Amino acid sequence: MLSAIIGVSTIIVFSVFSEAQLEPKVFVTHSGQVIQTSGDVLDPLYTASTVEFDPGKYLRDFNYGRISELNGQTIREFTIIAEDDKIQEISPGVFYNVWTFNGTVPGPTIRATEGDLVRIHFINNGSKSHTMHFHGIHPAEMDGVFEAVGPGGGQFTYEFEAGPVGVHPYHCHVMPLEEHISHGLYGVYIVDPKEGRPSADEMVMVLNGFDTDFDTENNFYAANSIPFYYQHHPIQIKTNELIRIYVVNMVEFDPINNFHLHGNLYNYYPTGTSTVPSTYTDMITLSQTERGIMEFKYDYPGKYLFHAHKVEFSEKGWVGIFLVNDNPDQKSQTGIDYEN
Amino acid sequence: MKIKKNYSKVKTIASGIIPFGFLVIMILYLIGPSSDLLEFGVSLPEITIEKIEFVDSEIHVTVRNTGPIPVKIAMADVNDRIQSAAIEPDKSLERFETALVRIPFSWNEAEPYTIGITLDDGVRFDKFIEAATPAIKSDYKLAGFFAIIGTYVGIIPVMIGLLWLPFIKRIGKNKYNFFLALTIGLLVFLGIDAMLEGFEVSKENFSTNFNGELLIITITLLSFLGLYYSAEKLTSRTNLTASSKPLAIGLMIAIGIGLHNLGEGLAIGAAIGLGQVALSTFLIVGFALHNTTEGIAIASPLAKTKSPISKIIILGLIAGSPAILGTWIGGFFYSPYTAIVFLSIGAGAIFQVALVILKWLYQSEQKLVQASIVSGIGVGMLIMYLTSILV
Repeated sequence: MLSAIIGVSTIIVFSVFSEAQLEPKVFVTHSGQVIQTSGDVLDPLYTASTVEFDPGKYLRDFNYGRISELNGQTIREFTIIAEDDKIQEISPGVFYNVWTFNGTVPGPTIRATEGDLVRIHFINNGSKSHTMHFHGIHPAEMDGVFEAVGPGGGQFTYEFEAGPVGVHPYHCHVMPLEEHISHGLYGVYIVDPKEGRPSADEMVMVLNGFDTDFDTENNFYAANSIPFYYQHHPIQIKTNELIRIYVVNMVEFDPINNFHLHGNLYNYYPTGTSTVPSTYTDMITLSQTERGIMEFKYDYPGKYLFHAHKVEFSEKGWVGIFLVNDNPDQKSQTGIDYEN
Repeated sequence: MKIKKNYSKVKTIASGIIPFGFLVIMILYLIGPSSDLLEFGVSLPEITIEKIEFVDSEIHVTVRNTGPIPVKIAMADVNDRIQSAAIEPDKSLERFETALVRIPFSWNEAEPYTIGITLDDGVRFDKFIEAATPAIKSDYKLAGFFAIIGTYVGIIPVMIGLLWLPFIKRIGKNKYNFFLALTIGLLVFLGIDAMLEGFEVSKENFSTNFNGELLIITITLLSFLGLYYSAEKLTSRTNLTASSKPLAIGLMIAIGIGLHNLGEGLAIGAAIGLGQVALSTFLIVGFALHNTTEGIAIASPLAKTKSPISKIIILGLIAGSPAILGTWIGGFFYSPYTAIVFLSIGAGAIFQVALVILKWLYQSEQKLVQASIVSGIGVGMLIMYLTSILV
């Protein structure tokens, strides 16, 4: 009996050593590692064709509104629709219920010139109350806090004079506030100075994150919602061309976020309210809704990383690449048409 | 007359089946395609990370879908930092299906790691490893090494314990009863120990969906009842002489202890396999000391008979050698499921043996409340407790 036990067990044990190999496939992962596998690959790599929200398009997409004029004042009208039932693939294979302004997180970038009349026709098609609260200067009843707009088609018109000059966030201000913001109800509102800013390749970056398991810690971070997107779809810029980034930190749960640029330094204008930069650096730390404008030029072509130097965030998606292309004829530019 | 009898038989069968039929109809009604009665609440997906192995520049994670619905694995992370990975055979897991997640990662030996797996709904499950140690390579050398360890833990201590046989033979009746009672104490302790060990494995590795505690109790009871029944049949059918009954009891004890040592072997093999080397050194020394007492347990019922030495050695081997098998299973294919099944079977077997000895004592003494018996059980449990501290 004993020998039988040992005999059988020996066969069981030693059969494991001669396990047959399955035919492997070779993958190169998003971090450059090579995996041989007979199965699937779990890689946080988005391709442009599968992404529901296109960070490449959002980056340089400024909305100036429907323009009319009254008594010499420019009126810019926008229609913003809030929804809270959308399920979006926010990282490959990971689906999350995003709450959106006009269908995207972040919502559309609203841009006006100082002194313009901004009129927002807000429609709430969600299942909860929502509002739009703009940072900036406006009358109390336009603050989007005490006038909750009911679900299922509730409407409100926000109207105020654009100001002050700078880059500001807008977001829903219904309680519980953290829930409404972290689900994605926010966007960027830019007020240009009347005299304009020097011509530049301009872009918007909202630093945000998603807490997909609701443990009050973000599972994903990004510039413009999609983790690792600009790492695999580098932002194309040119040498000697002025780059201007409107950066807004909308990360919830974490007290700070930051922005580090490789191979270069930038002039930083906190909140964009002053024309004089506060500092010349490659590293800025931002708390919730802290924002500013960064301006820089690259002298040398090539690939340059930009990312959170809170490396945890960059390893969870907040990392991107500028691909600087040679631009021999570009020396300087003058003037920019802010009207379009 | 015959027809009438058949008719009543049909009636019996029908009356047995009809309630069952209604039960089927009720379940079909509840879960059938047209039923919306139970469409409330949310079915939450759940996975359990069963095993994490550190191999050459890769971390291997075995996950099982332990929830009520199929799941899709979306992402892997190490220390909460997103990592690319491969998943085999694929990322869709049906209920109870397992998959191997291979994360390319140059890990550092002896450092702690938390491995996380995120599902398609964004929920993350993780498991903490105190210290990364290279996974063992399954080869003949290691199998031989395990065999040697199993011998040290199982066979040699039991044989040493059996050396007390001549001593027990020479002592008087009261003292002999004391040693039999001591055996009962040892066994009861071992049985409880095995069940507690099973509870621990279940708590650490089982999803609550599996009801690990109830599984352990069920298997222990089944093992107890099954062995008790077959042992009763065995001893009543064969015309046992006065001298062969103790040997039969000795054999039962040896089998029970053998199952228990299989569990111990599993623990040692798993400890080495999972890289908890310091722990396994203690385990080996502790089990070796602990298992010497098991030899006494086998020796006691044999003491008053003339059993050939060869049979006693075979009993020792039956009790001790499963430890080798245990280290192989534990080291090469550890799974919490096999561990729990073996531990529970062992516990049931041990309780059954303890009961058999108790009955035997009662038959010869007609009275169990005696100083020698009560103190024997107490001392037996105490000895086990003290030696178990070493483990």
